[in-house]
Amino acid sequence: MRRWIFALLLAATPATAAEDVVSGLSQDQIEINSSYTGSDIVVFGTIERPAAPTGRDIVVVVRGPDTDITVRRRDRVAGVWINRDAAKFAGMPAFYFLASSRPLGAIAPPEVLDRYGLGAMHLKPAAITSHHDPLPFRQAAVRQLAAQGLYTDAPGAIDFHSENLFKTVVPIPAAVARGQYNVEVYLFRDGDVESVQSTPFFIDQTGLERRLFNFAHNQPLGYGLLAVFMSLLFGWATSVLMRRPGA
Amino acid sequence: MEIYLPIAEMSVHWVYIVGLGLAVGFLSGLFGVGGGFLLTPLLVFYGIPSVVAVGTTLSHVTASSVSGALAQWRKRAIDFKMAGVMVAGGLVGTGFGVWLFALMRRQGQMDLIVSLSYVLLLGSVGGLMLKESLATLKAARGGVVVPVRPVNRAWIAALPFKMRFRQSRLYLSVLPPIVIGFAVGALSAIMGVGGGFIIVPAMIYILRMPTNVVLGTSLVQIIGVTIVTTILQATSNYAVDIVLALFLVIGGVVGAQLGVRAGARLRGEQLRFLLAVVVLAVALRLAWGLVAHPRDIYSTMLGS
Repeated sequence: MRRWIFALLLAATPATAAEDVVSGLSQDQIEINSSYTGSDIVVFGTIERPAAPTGRDIVVVVRGPDTDITVRRRDRVAGVWINRDAAKFAGMPAFYFLASSRPLGAIAPPEVLDRYGLGAMHLKPAAITSHHDPLPFRQAAVRQLAAQGLYTDAPGAIDFHSENLFKTVVPIPAAVARGQYNVEVYLFRDGDVESVQSTPFFIDQTGLERRLFNFAHNQPLGYGLLAVFMSLLFGWATSVLMRRPGA
Repeated sequence: MEIYLPIAEMSVHWVYIVGLGLAVGFLSGLFGVGGGFLLTPLLVFYGIPSVVAVGTTLSHVTASSVSGALAQWRKRAIDFKMAGVMVAGGLVGTGFGVWLFALMRRQGQMDLIVSLSYVLLLGSVGGLMLKESLATLKAARGGVVVPVRPVNRAWIAALPFKMRFRQSRLYLSVLPPIVIGFAVGALSAIMGVGGGFIIVPAMIYILRMPTNVVLGTSLVQIIGVTIVTTILQATSNYAVDIVLALFLVIGGVVGAQLGVRAGARLRGEQLRFLLAVVVLAVALRLAWGLVAHPRDIYSTMLGS
């Protein structure tokens, strides 16, 4: 009942009054081909019906397809370093990029960041499996994924071209998961989300790479035989080509 | 030029991969070993996922072994009967290895067990070969002919199912070659190696085959086992990256030919001494990795 009233109130407010964000991407598809070594995607946006520029923040999040993250910790046992403890975080993005006009902590309180899952440490895994405090495992995972360019926190990386026009460049590394990526652009006003816009893009293999990947997965026996045949052929061919008379 | 690997899902520089194949292929031709024990750790070190490294190294091992084996075949230095018996044991061993691989993976101690077995095997085999080859080298320098010691072979001679291996000038029970073949097949599946570094010493020290047929025969056994393991890896783990394999193979086959030629100029004990040094160096490097304080005690893995 209260929800209905709230919805009615929203509809009653003149649409022109609400500050809004509209965004777009430089491309909606990244194709991985034989010379793919990583690329950039540009997210640009504009604020419609802008209110005062003070107290306003922009956060851009790029989230890759979900995966499981397993973190293991080594311990010294009898002089040898062995994987002892582990933590598994299910349903975490394989790629996570966050750019914000100011450091996240200055934009909104932790409860808000938790609610929207903004920032690598505020993401909500679907499940956590661990016999220990998962926090240090999670911190280690974020640190290591950041080193691989898979998790990025870029405070201040929103470029304002004018008061209401902005863009940010998202570097996509070479070793990146294929699938659907979502770009979310958040407009914050006084510590809370005023408007969100979400746009997907896709990363996939094309051409020969795609065909080889499909071949390996759809006809693994034929693929294995092809690999064996290739090895035999090359082994035989060099042996013949490099044979010296009398050798 | 960077190339993208469709199965490893990453890009690599082709010069590095061809160079790696060439160097490892050279050793392969020189010593009659597949070189997988060097190539797998090197690929992992370069950043290739270890499952793909294990699955793809086998293609390189097959190719450089074929190239080396053909060179040996022209010298009539292959005991096909012995190789056939060992491959028969190897097929069963490969199946066992794949099963063990899955079991260890469930226990979460895959890396440790693989490293430990690498260190133990390479360390003991390398140490044994180093000791023997040094003794032979020293004796040769002093002009003394070392008598071939019939190391306690009574129990092997007593085994049943004897068979005549004409090429090796042996009359021997088929059980020891079958057991060696089995063990090597299992290692092949677990470590992504052909197992030459074990077969060669086993043929020399346990079976007492003449050194000149050891190289060719071990290569034929390696070809048999790696073909089966490649197909198993492709069908059960989708772990063979054919683009990576292509570049490794191109370097590998050329290196193997160069290695065979270089090997022809060295004497058997010199070859064994060099192989022992290489094997021990790899063992020490891996042992260091087990005991040294890791740069990061955490490791992160994506995917289920």
